[in-house]
Amino acid sequence: MATVMEMRRSHGRERAKRRVDWIAYGYLSPALVTICVLSILPIFYTIYISFTDFNQMHFLSYQFVGLKNYEELLNPHDPLSNLFLPTFIWTLVYALCTTALAYLVGLFLAVLLNNKHMRERTLYRMLLIVPWAVPNLISMLAWQGLLNDQYGQINALLHGVFGLPRIPWLTSALWARIAVIMVNVWAGFPYMMTVCLGALQSIPTDQYEAAEIDGANWWQVFRYVTMPSVWRISLPLLIPSFSYNFNNFNASYLLTGGGPPNSNNPFLGQTDILATAAYKMTLTFNRYDLGATISVLLFILVALISWVQMRYTGAFKEVDA
Amino acid sequence: MAISSQSFSTLKSQHPIASRSRRRRSMRPGERVALWVSRIVIWCVIVMVLLPMWFVVIASFNPSNSYISFSLFPSNASLANYKALFQGGQFWTWVRNSLVVGVVVAVAQSFITAMSAFAFSKLRFYGRKYGLMTLLLLQMFPNILAIAAFYTALAKLNMIDMLGSYILVMLGTSAFNIWLLKGYMDSIPRELDEAAVIDGATTWQRFMHVTLPLSTPMMVVIFFLTLVGIFSEYMFAGTILQSPWNYTLGVGMYNLISGQFAKNWGEFAAAALLSAVPLAIVFAVAQRYLTKGLVAGSVKG
Repeated sequence: MATVMEMRRSHGRERAKRRVDWIAYGYLSPALVTICVLSILPIFYTIYISFTDFNQMHFLSYQFVGLKNYEELLNPHDPLSNLFLPTFIWTLVYALCTTALAYLVGLFLAVLLNNKHMRERTLYRMLLIVPWAVPNLISMLAWQGLLNDQYGQINALLHGVFGLPRIPWLTSALWARIAVIMVNVWAGFPYMMTVCLGALQSIPTDQYEAAEIDGANWWQVFRYVTMPSVWRISLPLLIPSFSYNFNNFNASYLLTGGGPPNSNNPFLGQTDILATAAYKMTLTFNRYDLGATISVLLFILVALISWVQMRYTGAFKEVDA
Repeated sequence: MAISSQSFSTLKSQHPIASRSRRRRSMRPGERVALWVSRIVIWCVIVMVLLPMWFVVIASFNPSNSYISFSLFPSNASLANYKALFQGGQFWTWVRNSLVVGVVVAVAQSFITAMSAFAFSKLRFYGRKYGLMTLLLLQMFPNILAIAAFYTALAKLNMIDMLGSYILVMLGTSAFNIWLLKGYMDSIPRELDEAAVIDGATTWQRFMHVTLPLSTPMMVVIFFLTLVGIFSEYMFAGTILQSPWNYTLGVGMYNLISGQFAKNWGEFAAAALLSAVPLAIVFAVAQRYLTKGLVAGSVKG
């Protein structure tokens, strides 16, 4: 930007204008076309559907119904509000717990691994990265089998070795929720660990020397030297991972299918998040109108989260450069 | 602990003669205890993390999957599950479908991404400043949430259950990849591009002969990430593809396990192993470059 300003001053306005490469739009057009057709258009169509009564009953002759769908989902006195509010709360809890726990585990392991005396640490790092390397779809489906309360190996292990009773992992509401969070921490911590290790290794050593000269103890060094740097580097990557988890389909859909069923809600199960709710309303119950409305509400929430994140972290800032 | 190791490394650089044995001796007792405690903690974590995966490996070699008891090694290992998987004939169809979709989408996306990243990195145009930011914000909303729109549009156009429509839906460009590649292209010395301009190169020549060859490592990463992404995509594939011969690997495996756990667990485990190992290797190679780029990006910001 600065160079452009200088150039304007020295060469005048025409010169600066001539520097626009119009051909750039040609290079951008394939991306813009696919993004328009496959992202923007569907979003607008979704918004449009959310104002209609488009569902299986009205597949060919649907009508504009205004805000009716939104009222049904958001008004706590309406029976359909069961669809939105509890699911929303669980989505928040799930995304927060998963991101925070994965980050803590990842940071903890990164601090342990960032020890120069541990010469075999590359091996540990490779082993610990395995859950990230296995495609998410495969590991989630594998966990579905492992956590099966009748035949699954996890219960066999707990029962056979520790003598614990069989845990109804995927059939009780509480355990299913614990399982979903646990499995996603399992899948998510290697990413956090890698990021934290990168951050730890980028801290200049003179900061540690200065701290040592000042007589800081281990905790003070961690608190005032290590953490600020790690935090600064990992925050821009932490918040996108929150919004990723917010919409993480695989998490609940492939592991529990959203189940176990909910007694006061015929449509959604106990571990359904908003994203799977939108999916199920569309494909299982053919309520395109409600599915689209949930999507739009989710879009607003994600946009808010993203805005806050960009505002406070300056992530992707160099895009302006 | 962190402080001691870090200050130690600077100490070492001041005394380059310090040999390995001396380095060991200079560990204080407190550090030695800390080192062994962290080792033991890490071993425990590794066992907890990898044991579930090991169970899948065992299951794939375990011929009888009607009842599963706890064991660390398969009792009477055999390749029965693998045989069943191959004889079913479907497995290779799913792999082929995933490969076809994956390669087509990855080639197309790599090229589209390269062109836009080149524009954002090397060319000047109106909208350059906020364009990428806008696209990134827009894609905070994943395509799959517009599933109602996609599904009803495809249903009305009679395009459900076609591999082609799945490829089409997956073609959407990822703004994140553009951002990643743009960052990489920014690090290519400006002089090279300027030299090409002085030599009278056209924009296309600057793109094809200067910027693109120098961006090969990141291009490879984007290609493989897209390919692996297709292999682990279920939501769209499960919606659009409905006949077994059109299934991708993900949909096929989902149908193997969901609801028929006891019957197909062994076969599923074999399929999981066969597909996860090559993809995990590809990923392990790609993620090294990727994390470098990610961390470099946020350090810069």
